[in-house]
Amino acid sequence: MDGGVTYQRFPKLKIREMRDDVVKFELRETDASMANALRRVMIAEVPTVAIDLVEIEVNSTVLNDEFIAHRLGLIPLTSDRAMSMRFSRDCDACDGDGQCEFCSVEFHLRAKCLTDQTLDVTSKDLYSSDHTVVPVDFSDPNEPGEQRGIIIVKLRRGQELRLRAIARKGIGKDHAKWSPAATVTFMYEPMIRINEDLMENLSLEDKRSWVESSPTKVFDIDPVTQQVVVVDPEAYTYDDEVIKKAEAMGKPGLVEIEAKEDSFIFTVESTGAVKASQLVLNAIEILKQKLDAVRLSDDTVEADDQFGELGAHMRGG
Amino acid sequence: MNAPDRYERFVVPEGTKKVSYERDTKIINAASFTVEREDHTIGNILRMQLHRDPNVLFAGYKLPHPLQYKIIVRIHTASQSSPMQAYNQAINDLDKELDHLKNAFEIELAKHSREY
Repeated sequence: MDGGVTYQRFPKLKIREMRDDVVKFELRETDASMANALRRVMIAEVPTVAIDLVEIEVNSTVLNDEFIAHRLGLIPLTSDRAMSMRFSRDCDACDGDGQCEFCSVEFHLRAKCLTDQTLDVTSKDLYSSDHTVVPVDFSDPNEPGEQRGIIIVKLRRGQELRLRAIARKGIGKDHAKWSPAATVTFMYEPMIRINEDLMENLSLEDKRSWVESSPTKVFDIDPVTQQVVVVDPEAYTYDDEVIKKAEAMGKPGLVEIEAKEDSFIFTVESTGAVKASQLVLNAIEILKQKLDAVRLSDDTVEADDQFGELGAHMRGG
Repeated sequence: MNAPDRYERFVVPEGTKKVSYERDTKIINAASFTVEREDHTIGNILRMQLHRDPNVLFAGYKLPHPLQYKIIVRIHTASQSSPMQAYNQAINDLDKELDHLKNAFEIELAKHSREY
């Protein structure tokens, strides 16, 4: 069936900047469908773990039970294990009631305010049954003393909060709390060509006002040669302001800007549930799994083969 | 109140096939693939990959309704190929492209980790 023909592409990839929560990379020699599929998968289909079930024992705080349950769900939990965990809906060990180690993690929270000072209940007060799944730590390594948990509720004297919560694996398509991505964006790389002949004919004043017409700092004037130079092509927001300005100045074609249709600049920001770089790798893996799932099953192929023979007879007759 | 359950969007109901195939009754080498519980993510990459195949005369997909969680991919090929062959080829090629991408990302990752 496959005679060795292939229309496969070999995209080029280059990481520009990498931190735990942000990664920026260039993706080249592929098309927008691939870039967008990756973006969509990162946002909505890479699994994480998030609190999904809350049993409240005591709640005498100012917030009602469901308000607190909602806030707990939105706390990002470290989810490096999520790719290998089971969804509780197809967990055989516990029938999806979320009590087993393969598909769920249990949390406990106990807090009571006994002083006149307001007590902050934060994500640091959540005790996990599994040390690999804990609330994401946002403390600044430069200021080790400062505690920076996510505030869940504030208590005054005598108020108490006691609960049990179960975290499960899920995807952003189900509920946004499971999305590991804070933002994922990609832009086309712009190709900016200045028409040097036309530009030479401009006075310095005109050059300056043209450079100023761009809302972002894309162009500048070289202090030595007084030529207009492109300082940051990626600052261009495809706003067409410089093109309109050139036309208004009676110099259409002063600059040509086009989007390179096969080059993308990605910015991936993670919520902290997984590292940004891991998020990209997980997205590639999930997209592969999705493609595998849409392969034709053997019985479909067989049924068609029979039909195909019949059709050939009909056509041949 | 009567909103469909959220999981309806990505869980294939029991007894339903993920992909079903239907030949066109009037045109030879034309067929529609109905893919359950998929959306633009899969639909668009498949369509664009099919366009790279010179034997494919037409390839398109639609999401018939936002609350019907399926896509319909329609393929019409030249006589040297068949919709099924083109469909499989597109998936194989995309799969290999993603393998390549994964490798490329891991190589870059190793380079960057060393710099720290």
